[in-house]
Amino acid sequence: MPGPMPLEGVRVFELGIAIAAPNACKYFANFGAEVLRIESLNNPDVARLFASSWARARPELGPVMLDTSPYVSEMGAGKLSVGLDLKHPGGLAAARRLLRDCDVLITNYSSPAVKTLGLDYESVAAIRPDIVYVALPGFGSNPATPYYEFLAWGPNQAPLVGLDSLTGYADQEPAGIAAIAPPDYCSSLHAVIAVLTALEQRDRTGDGAYIDISQFEATIALLSPYLLDNVLNGHVQPRTGNRTSGAAPEGVYPCRGDDRWLAISCTTDDEWAALGEVAGRPAWAVDARFADAAGRATNADELDGHIGAWTAQYGADELAAWLQAAGVPAHAASDNYGVLADPQVRDRGYFKVRPSARFGRDLFSGNPLHLSDTPGSPRRAGPQFGQDTRHILRSVCGYSDGEIDALVAGGAAFEPPLPAVTLTRPYDAMLPVLIPGLSGDGTANE
Amino acid sequence: MSAGARPLSGLRVIDLAGLPGAYGAMLLAGLGADVIKVEPPAGDDLRHLAPFSRDGGARESLWFAAFGQGKRSVVIDCAVAAGRDQLRRLLASADAVIESHPPGALDAMDLGYAATSLANPALLWAAVTPFGQSGPRRDWKGSNLIAWASSGVLYQTGFPDRPPVTPGGPVQLACHVASLNAAAGLLLALRARRVSGRGQLIDVSMQECCLAINPESGVPLSLDDGIHRRRSGNRRNATRPFGLYPAADGHVSLLIVQPAHWRLLAAWIHETTGDEAILEPAFEDLAFRFQAADIVDAATEALTVKFRKLHLFHEAQRRGIPLTPVNTVADIAADPHLAAAGFFETSEHPVLGTYMRPGPAFRTPPGWWSLGPAPLLGQHTGEVLASL
Repeated sequence: MPGPMPLEGVRVFELGIAIAAPNACKYFANFGAEVLRIESLNNPDVARLFASSWARARPELGPVMLDTSPYVSEMGAGKLSVGLDLKHPGGLAAARRLLRDCDVLITNYSSPAVKTLGLDYESVAAIRPDIVYVALPGFGSNPATPYYEFLAWGPNQAPLVGLDSLTGYADQEPAGIAAIAPPDYCSSLHAVIAVLTALEQRDRTGDGAYIDISQFEATIALLSPYLLDNVLNGHVQPRTGNRTSGAAPEGVYPCRGDDRWLAISCTTDDEWAALGEVAGRPAWAVDARFADAAGRATNADELDGHIGAWTAQYGADELAAWLQAAGVPAHAASDNYGVLADPQVRDRGYFKVRPSARFGRDLFSGNPLHLSDTPGSPRRAGPQFGQDTRHILRSVCGYSDGEIDALVAGGAAFEPPLPAVTLTRPYDAMLPVLIPGLSGDGTANE
Repeated sequence: MSAGARPLSGLRVIDLAGLPGAYGAMLLAGLGADVIKVEPPAGDDLRHLAPFSRDGGARESLWFAAFGQGKRSVVIDCAVAAGRDQLRRLLASADAVIESHPPGALDAMDLGYAATSLANPALLWAAVTPFGQSGPRRDWKGSNLIAWASSGVLYQTGFPDRPPVTPGGPVQLACHVASLNAAAGLLLALRARRVSGRGQLIDVSMQECCLAINPESGVPLSLDDGIHRRRSGNRRNATRPFGLYPAADGHVSLLIVQPAHWRLLAAWIHETTGDEAILEPAFEDLAFRFQAADIVDAATEALTVKFRKLHLFHEAQRRGIPLTPVNTVADIAADPHLAAAGFFETSEHPVLGTYMRPGPAFRTPPGWWSLGPAPLLGQHTGEVLASL
């Protein structure tokens, strides 16, 4: 029988934009915390403004459009949406009332914005002295530092922290990281660790904590070996394509088909020998210059040419399976359809389907942490905009329905527009095929 | 504040992991845990990974110098029965384990979670593997590159005329993201243990860790918009300017979405290059700017190539334009903000001597964070084994 969820009884106040704070709170929601996502009608999160492409073509949807972005479930599954305008005195008063009963506040609003709202650490600690307060601004919360007011947008942060200059080939300009924004996620994982540590400390001492995470600083720590290489040796690490210092050969090789590629990392001589066996022991596989790792690294360009000429004759998935069967680390460079069809991803049920008020059901990315005794999984997909306003203001703040009606009428709070419209995602009918193990009513998988 | 007040003091963590656990275990050490790095007689794999220190008598791996910080080093030879017995006793004394062996490898020595938790049922055990502890590919081997390949991110990174390329390249970012998840998992399990009294296994798959940082280009988004996402080089095919642009001494990153940001940039371009046409109101629409990408990019480059990247960064931000430099590690080491924030700090290492290192990733209450240097190989073998 599973144990009680690790964060049962913990209430989190999420003042988030886009990724950094919301992604951290996803972890908390997965493991039993009640996450209150505070949302503003006048200034919706960009994650909601990136409406679905098909919805943008339907202006008649009006504010319902704000429920259509896939990010609503990607970043909001398992959370409660509380619609409060914090720039309205009534909305701010409700937020301050909520904070009396919150254990954690996490925000990635800019430091000046949090101060202007009156929700900086000092103000919140005055309401709830043992609050665990985590700020995730782009450049830290110290007004005396030069970049305090600088703008930090997710895709701009990977270049800043040094990741883009190390992405690509040495003979070409930096390829950059266009698909994802790693610093947002690295910062949010540091925030998860900070919050859990602070809760541990609070349980021991009764004290809350203020934790300031500069997104600039949090990701730089991960580049420490190359920073030390610069500070100690005066060396500036160049781009190395797909090669790392622990493996040779290591690269991405062409395969049969349109834009199909196979990744291979040989970290030991045994793996290199196994690769040669799978290739049928051609001349290059037994060439003495490639016999040890140093020789393979020195002659890497020539070796890559031989391997690429061999891989090009085969399909990426079949070659990956042959190489793995022989003990060689290899995998096709999957596109998103490949990820969806990946037998490992399907077997482990990575992608989740859960009930959704707006769509009936919705699909989103799962939880990379599998805890054997307390498996964490959200009960529902992302919330409708303001879906839980009334319930939370009533149950936590103790407001009457009349008081809530007045707040909504005055623009201090909001609820989902009526009548309820149920929408359908374009791929909804395919879900039983795409996602194995859907329940009888089709609204959830394991 | 006394050392006893650090939040994770009293928590003993055994680090049996390679790079996919190293950074996370180091964070736990910084927050007060007693992290014991178990190494074979030849030293941990990280000690053999370049780059190395070049001065001084011994050659120190800077990977170990960075991610071994704050840990104690115990040499145990698991190739012999006496060593396996030492490790068994060490595990019996522990609160938590972080490891990255292939599934079943430690079990084969009777040193896996199943056997160890029988003797120590409160033990928390984080296992990081390429594909997880279950499923048809659980025994597939992996690496940083393989993790990105299996997550769909590799396919979408790089220039179209070259093979896909690893995000962050030699930083081995997927290993660090996995280790951050493992540390978070251990802390969640610690909290669960407070109520249940039981330990548990935390199964971390590197493939899933990469999938979990990919919502912006991932499966749910692609199913919804039907777009087959491919690599587009260093500019994103959403609008322009969006991506990397050449500076006099490297590149800068520009991300112009909001009309207000465009107006500020257009004014700066006009002021610097005399380009009148770029002030046309039609360019305020981001879809139009993408249709006219060649014109917008050329006008933007005419501005950016004139200045050094640090000047562009400071001047753009002064004007309220979201622009950042494409920093190298040397740029980061010299950055004025990090210097003013006191981010870099000095540390002492028996081989490296006095050196500058990046400070803590987060600013915590006084007394929480403290991180000694990485240990020498086997520096703490005697004291730790004697205490068992």
